[in-house]
Amino acid sequence: MHSSDEYAERDIDISMLTRVEGEGSLRLRMRDGVVESARLSIFEAPRYFEKLVEGRKPDEVIDIVARICGICPVAYQMSAVHAFEDCFGVEVEDGVRALRRLMYCGEWIESHALHVYLLHAPDFLGYASAVEMAEDHADIVGRGLQLKRLGNDILALLGGRAIHPVSVRVGGFSRVPRRGELDALRHMLDHAVEWSAETLDWVSTLDAPAFERDVELVSLVHPHEYPMNHGRIVSTRGIDVATGAWRDAFEESQVPDTNALHARTRSGTTYLVGPAARVTQCADRLHPRAGAALRQSGLGGAIAANPYWSIAARAVELLHASSEAVDILDAYTRPDVASVAWEPRAGVAAWSTEAPRGLLFHRYEVDASGFVRAAQIVPPTSQNQGRIEDDLVAFTPTMRDASDAELTHGLEQLVRSYDPCISCATHFLDVEIEEVP
Amino acid sequence: MSEAGQGHRYFLARHRLADLIDVLRGAGGRARTVIGPTVEQGAIVYAEIDTAADLPVGWRDEQAPGHYRLRREGDERAFAYAVGPTAWKRHLFPPARVRMEVAAEPGADGTRFEPTQPAASATVLLGARGCELAAMRVQDRVFRGGPYVDDHYADARDAAFVVAVQCTHPASTCFCTSMRSGPGVEAGYDLRLTEIADGFVVEAGTDAGGEVLVSLRLDPADEERAGEAHAAVAACAETVTHRNRGVDPIRARDLDMYPEHPRWDEVAARCLACTNCTMVCPTCFCSRDVQQSVLARPDGTVERQWDSCFTAEFAAVAGGSFRSRIRDRYRQWLTHKFSTWWPQFGTPGCVGCGRCIVWCPVEIDVREEIAAIGTSAPESDAQDGGERRGDVDLGPQALTTSPGGVPEPPPRTGTVERVTTETSDTVTLRVRTPPGLEAQPGQFVLAAVPRVGAPPISVSRLEPGTLELTVRSVGPATAALCRLGPGDPLGLAGAYGRGWPIEAARGNDVIVVAGGIGLAPLRPVIDAVLADRDSYGDVSVYVGARTPDDMIYSAEIGTWEQRRDVTAARIVDRAGPDWLGPVGVVTQLFADTAREAASTVAFVCGPERMMQASVDALVDSGMRAESIWLTTERHMECGVGLCGHCQLGPYFVCRDGPVFTAAELGPYLGVEGI
Amino acid sequence: MTRGAPTVGVVKFASCDGCQLSLLDLEDHLLEITGTFDIVEFAEATSRRSPGPYDVLLVEGSVSTEEQAAEILELRAQARTLVTIGACATAGGIQALRNWADHDEYRRAVYAHPEYVASLATSTPVSSHVRVDAELHGCPIDRGELLELLSALAVGRRPQIREDAVCLACKRRGVVCVTVARGIPCLGPVTNAGCGAICPAMDRGCYGCFGPRPEANMPSLTGSFLASGGTRADVARLFEGFTAYAEPFRTTVSDLRGRGPEEDADAQQ
Repeated sequence: MHSSDEYAERDIDISMLTRVEGEGSLRLRMRDGVVESARLSIFEAPRYFEKLVEGRKPDEVIDIVARICGICPVAYQMSAVHAFEDCFGVEVEDGVRALRRLMYCGEWIESHALHVYLLHAPDFLGYASAVEMAEDHADIVGRGLQLKRLGNDILALLGGRAIHPVSVRVGGFSRVPRRGELDALRHMLDHAVEWSAETLDWVSTLDAPAFERDVELVSLVHPHEYPMNHGRIVSTRGIDVATGAWRDAFEESQVPDTNALHARTRSGTTYLVGPAARVTQCADRLHPRAGAALRQSGLGGAIAANPYWSIAARAVELLHASSEAVDILDAYTRPDVASVAWEPRAGVAAWSTEAPRGLLFHRYEVDASGFVRAAQIVPPTSQNQGRIEDDLVAFTPTMRDASDAELTHGLEQLVRSYDPCISCATHFLDVEIEEVP
Repeated sequence: MSEAGQGHRYFLARHRLADLIDVLRGAGGRARTVIGPTVEQGAIVYAEIDTAADLPVGWRDEQAPGHYRLRREGDERAFAYAVGPTAWKRHLFPPARVRMEVAAEPGADGTRFEPTQPAASATVLLGARGCELAAMRVQDRVFRGGPYVDDHYADARDAAFVVAVQCTHPASTCFCTSMRSGPGVEAGYDLRLTEIADGFVVEAGTDAGGEVLVSLRLDPADEERAGEAHAAVAACAETVTHRNRGVDPIRARDLDMYPEHPRWDEVAARCLACTNCTMVCPTCFCSRDVQQSVLARPDGTVERQWDSCFTAEFAAVAGGSFRSRIRDRYRQWLTHKFSTWWPQFGTPGCVGCGRCIVWCPVEIDVREEIAAIGTSAPESDAQDGGERRGDVDLGPQALTTSPGGVPEPPPRTGTVERVTTETSDTVTLRVRTPPGLEAQPGQFVLAAVPRVGAPPISVSRLEPGTLELTVRSVGPATAALCRLGPGDPLGLAGAYGRGWPIEAARGNDVIVVAGGIGLAPLRPVIDAVLADRDSYGDVSVYVGARTPDDMIYSAEIGTWEQRRDVTAARIVDRAGPDWLGPVGVVTQLFADTAREAASTVAFVCGPERMMQASVDALVDSGMRAESIWLTTERHMECGVGLCGHCQLGPYFVCRDGPVFTAAELGPYLGVEGI
Repeated sequence: MTRGAPTVGVVKFASCDGCQLSLLDLEDHLLEITGTFDIVEFAEATSRRSPGPYDVLLVEGSVSTEEQAAEILELRAQARTLVTIGACATAGGIQALRNWADHDEYRRAVYAHPEYVASLATSTPVSSHVRVDAELHGCPIDRGELLELLSALAVGRRPQIREDAVCLACKRRGVVCVTVARGIPCLGPVTNAGCGAICPAMDRGCYGCFGPRPEANMPSLTGSFLASGGTRADVARLFEGFTAYAEPFRTTVSDLRGRGPEEDADAQQ
């Protein structure tokens, strides 16, 4: 046993966070049990995407911004394509609108299954990885992999491949599938629904640390549907702006020692986006099957208050996405044209959609020929980063008697519960640099 | 009009096309899959047809070099187009099929090579044109005309019911009349359709076709309709002929005589080597065998996939490619199509469908290329005295599997008895041969390691019940062979190819010239001659190597050097510390000796440059090129001449060689990029 | 994992994580892979870490900071077989477009916040820094090719990964040429196959994410694009994608734009 004196001054330095997307580190400085500073640093090299899309045309931008993140490329394509279509006044066919939701269902399934089973669950059960977990829980890991695979199958069907799909175009898709091409997938998706329901049952049995905090939750909210590509940006504390008007309610600033920008509300507070925010604000618009399962689990309150229970929010969304995918496939008739014709128009193209990790805002200034002149991209992880650090500060005193190893594990698990995508969070700097006189 | 159709022309009203398709799908109680034309991806392609509504009714095509567009005419014609991007080979010789299943469990019993059995289902090929039937006849000769046949192709071909459609709407790129393949259809069909204003004139070419007509209860076509059909095809023929007056495929047979024509450089500057022309070509048949296995699983497959002579690896062997430049590959393709295909198969390899012109992204038109090279070549550039092979009938020739043609045999399992290390990277495997494997000196086997590969290896010693393979580790497959130990199994297919003419050399002086590992295929010659020493005159063996350490069979060479009845000598490019012998090139060992032209036979094997120098030296010393035998190397994939990789001018090295006379190889030895 | 199984590390530089995710996307084979190889370093998937040595090291991402330039040298020393995976590692990635950015303006921009940003003026492929034993192309890599690479390593076969044109795979797949039938510019003829010709199969032109074939005939293809009515800038943008910095795309872009990338500018000074 240690005496608490030894902990009068402690530095916890996790030089490389594992089981997160991208490369980041965590430094925590404590004195007398009080956290002086928590700093989630990103050492992912900057790639300057906002500069790279300057001088490019909308469809090229859709291809390029996908490369911000290999885990959620569809999210980047969706925010961009809706921004351009809004700016140019393009109305897509209903069938295309449904296929875009189907595509997002695929990405949510893939990303959430990855996070729940391969990245996050090993923390709850005490394994270093899902591979080691599989030695004792082969059926559970196997179910997660199958679920993930079905998400990828949806993406490959609609986009040619799961990572960086190629079919999303302004006006629709380059190609839409024939009805018969969906049959094999449709058959398998019944399993996805079943496995998703089992996922929620299973995560409900996990032990999460007791840690609750009061946090502002932000997501799109749509009157009729669970939010993906449409809705207003709404928070639990009164923010309510149009989907393209993110800048009316939020702002971002660069933080020393990181390659990313942090977002804050206009009143300077941190907030949280992502599955917990969506489930909390839009529970009544979940697919009936998912809504019922959520109620039955009794985890609604925990999802809003305890970051560790985001694993349940993802499980609920797995069930929603697989159920909605089934409905979309059953109702599918091939759109008459894959893509409607459009003309560029000078203006500002701004839109937000719901990436697996939360609200993703894009804003492009476009000239009359359709060339992008300036860009701003605000991914979910940079919006959550301030909140993560606040939570680390709040959480650490609850483990003041823990060893360094235990504390480190607890902190890592907390960081992982936000499913941070560090690859995403690092692509802003150039805009900031450009604005410096 | 063909004999089968003459006097038996029937009329199928347009609205009864659906009935025809129904009967075809289920004729005679047999369920058949109907493959036919349909509009997809902006083109008329061949795909499965369920109803007459799937046909391209009312569509027209517009084709030019590098250009294809469809437009809706809105009439009721279903076949008013020229051939599109799909060739029927897709259904008879699919882009990929599993050829063999393999397994590599430990122990000889676990080594398995099982060919897949053909199981083609009954298929109707609806809408085949004259040029396409000609292409099928060409591929028949390739795949079922030789000693080894592609049984999957033969099976699919036999299971196909062919509904031919005579052309009435040619494209600007069609030149069937130049190749005598269309636009009419003269043979090779079960049913023949000609589209006219209110329907089709239909004739049966086979009993099976006749049964279809009977079940449709058609009326005979009246004179007027028969005349309309005839006139439409004749007008089409006239249009095509008129557009292609300068195209002379007979002249193009000389293309291979001008390997240095400047036009090859001009076309190579445009050619993308993208392989599109070979993929859409209805006769191109080249393939690669791809080893497939998953992680450490013991079982795997060998898949045969479409390949193209335009790919970088097509003519590659360890150490480089025989056709490294795009120029070499374009020349290979065009000369093969129009020139060297003749001695190989008795026809040209082109049927004048024009697909390669339309689907070339940079608009290369073979008609212009053969005209430019075939008619403007300076006489002095000709590599050949102008004596061409005899004229061959261009007309339709039916061909079923040749008598004696057998499917490619799978490797059979042999066992390694002994391994001898020859040099730092070369070993000799002594292998107990599986029953039934017979080899002659100069032949090669495919030595198969399951999941890894089956490289061709020359037989380096033959004894009853065993053979030896000398293997140099130059890649993963040969490395795997070099790692084998006593008791290990390996697969052996063959032996293949034409060997050394040892019997014919009896009574003559014999000269053996070897460079490096080239001594391996020559050792059975030396063994045979020494075993029957009295039957031969003077026997000389000359061996060269880069360094003393690179010399294989060193001790054995010593025993030849000891013999009084053999002249043996060796030489190295670079001496080592213990080397007391001569340094230089192997020709120095024998260049000064005069030969009796009529009674000397030479056997030569080594690097191409060394063989060329040896031939020059031997000819200078009085020998005739016809008495100098060489064994040559090419990319050998299938071992029996079906995959196309091993071509050398008109030859398939696997099948026609690997042993050739210097006279046979004359035009090709030392020509870059052939 | 079998005792004595080959050790595998997966590391990344500047990239989107998509290529290493391709390993996790081999869902049906993942547990078989970890039974065949001992994955000792893969930060995205496991908290277990290893500084090496590795029998096989898969490297994702381009080299774009001083630290990365130093780190790749150390990793090379730890790796028996070093395989670069994806367009960033093999060609510099989309971020290599900054190599053409105006040198002075770029430097000024960086030095405005030198304390926050450590990045080199260029993003370069791993092969510009160390010897590479094998490459998997693509943005992202094709997971089938990744499985083939691992399978070939497992049995000692040459991986069936060839530098054919996309056109060969496109035609095998039965896709109609989008350039000939619809007039869509397609980079298939000059691009490595490996993706399965997904773009033409999705009714659009190939955008070259598997990188240029070594023998790509660029003058012929760009000449044909220009003859079809594209401006020099239009044609340049076709190649200004995920593998723009790989030759011969690099020279083509520089020719069409009338200016070379950063590295060339330095060399001329």
